[in-house]
Amino acid sequence: MEAIRRIIWFVALVFLQVALFDKVHLFGYATPLLYIYFIIKLPVSLNRNAVVLLSALLGLCIDIFDHTLGLNMLACVVAGFMRFYLLKLFAPRDVFEDFAPSLKTFGHAAFFRYVSGMILLHQLIVFSTEAFSLFDAAGLFLRILGSFVLTLALVYALENINWGGAKNERR
Amino acid sequence: MQNLFNFIVKNVHWLLFLLLLFLSVFLLIDHSEFQRSKYLSVADDVTGSIYTVTNGFQSYMNLKSANEDLTKKIAELETSVFEYQQALASRNDTNQTASVAIDTLHTLIYQFIPAQVVDKNVSRLENYITLNKGANDGITPDMGVLSTNGIVGVVMKTSSHFSIVIPVLNPKFRLNCKLKTNYSGPLVWDGKDAQYTYLTEIPRHAIFQIGDTVVTSGYSTIFPKGLPVGTIVSVQKEKNDNYNSLKIKLFTNFHTLNTVTIVKNEYQREQNELQKTIQP
Repeated sequence: MEAIRRIIWFVALVFLQVALFDKVHLFGYATPLLYIYFIIKLPVSLNRNAVVLLSALLGLCIDIFDHTLGLNMLACVVAGFMRFYLLKLFAPRDVFEDFAPSLKTFGHAAFFRYVSGMILLHQLIVFSTEAFSLFDAAGLFLRILGSFVLTLALVYALENINWGGAKNERR
Repeated sequence: MQNLFNFIVKNVHWLLFLLLLFLSVFLLIDHSEFQRSKYLSVADDVTGSIYTVTNGFQSYMNLKSANEDLTKKIAELETSVFEYQQALASRNDTNQTASVAIDTLHTLIYQFIPAQVVDKNVSRLENYITLNKGANDGITPDMGVLSTNGIVGVVMKTSSHFSIVIPVLNPKFRLNCKLKTNYSGPLVWDGKDAQYTYLTEIPRHAIFQIGDTVVTSGYSTIFPKGLPVGTIVSVQKEKNDNYNSLKIKLFTNFHTLNTVTIVKNEYQREQNELQKTIQP
């Protein structure tokens, strides 16, 4: 059941990315790369090989649609691999059972750090690799910053939809 | 031996990571070659049909069919205008040298095929456009693509029902264009604004005025001579003092681009093959 849910998430995020988010260019710079949410939400205890393989597959799917072969794949593979270290840094140590990273399981501060780390790492690679042929430092910085804020906002939005019932508990 | 084996098992995630990393870097570097190859044309058919569905949501059904009819009509008219122009030119030319555009069997060198945009990017550094006509409709790589206002780009690769166009808005796009006064240079995009591009390598002594129209030079086999590209907005010095680069406002509005015509040059292969024979 869990596997089917993940597959639906995978397909939905790829579809949303190529059909909707890729067409968003707020102020000409900010483009949300929300599909990283799939990697963010993989269970903490999942085998590292599986995480990296799934990340590569996700990136490749996006690349095939965007005609940017290798670009998103590269970023996803690195993000998927570094996820282990980010989790090691930020995940709460007192929880042992198999859980997926979320606001609820991580708490505010840890979740924010973990998600920001993942998004920033991912976007740094995507946009700087993309900019390789035409270097424009200020433009690159704005692109990364704008897209980072937008993606983070969307991750939090999704996180709150996922977890609607617990809103009252928080405040 | 046992130790080595243990080491590998312990660090298999590193190996996997490095393997995938190299694979993606390889794809990234080998990108253009790979994109042109046939491996991905099946994938392009799938993505193309998904984009067709999403595009269906984006445009009204009636408007779409009406537009299709109109572009078809425009393509037909464009073909016949071209035919008449060539006929006129050959009549005016006493030496009959301009008659190259119509061969002895009176088939046209250039044909115009209407197509719909099913997907496009305009705000990235490397933009691509997907069209709903492919190899089955007679589209092959290196055909030119026009909008009703001006040039759009060049077909990069085709699958059976779709083709991918590398537009003016891509740093990999190079096309020779010229001024009214016949000075020509390559058109290069700087990756910033979808409305503007640059005409480079124009000698400093070239005569022109702000607002002049830039047209295709016809030196390549892709576009006929004299198709509108854009107007001159401003002049910038290049690093090399002998040349200027001109900022060009494109006639084609890429943000609203929906219907295009593809230019088919009957003699493209012949000309390219002939030109190849003299290159080492």
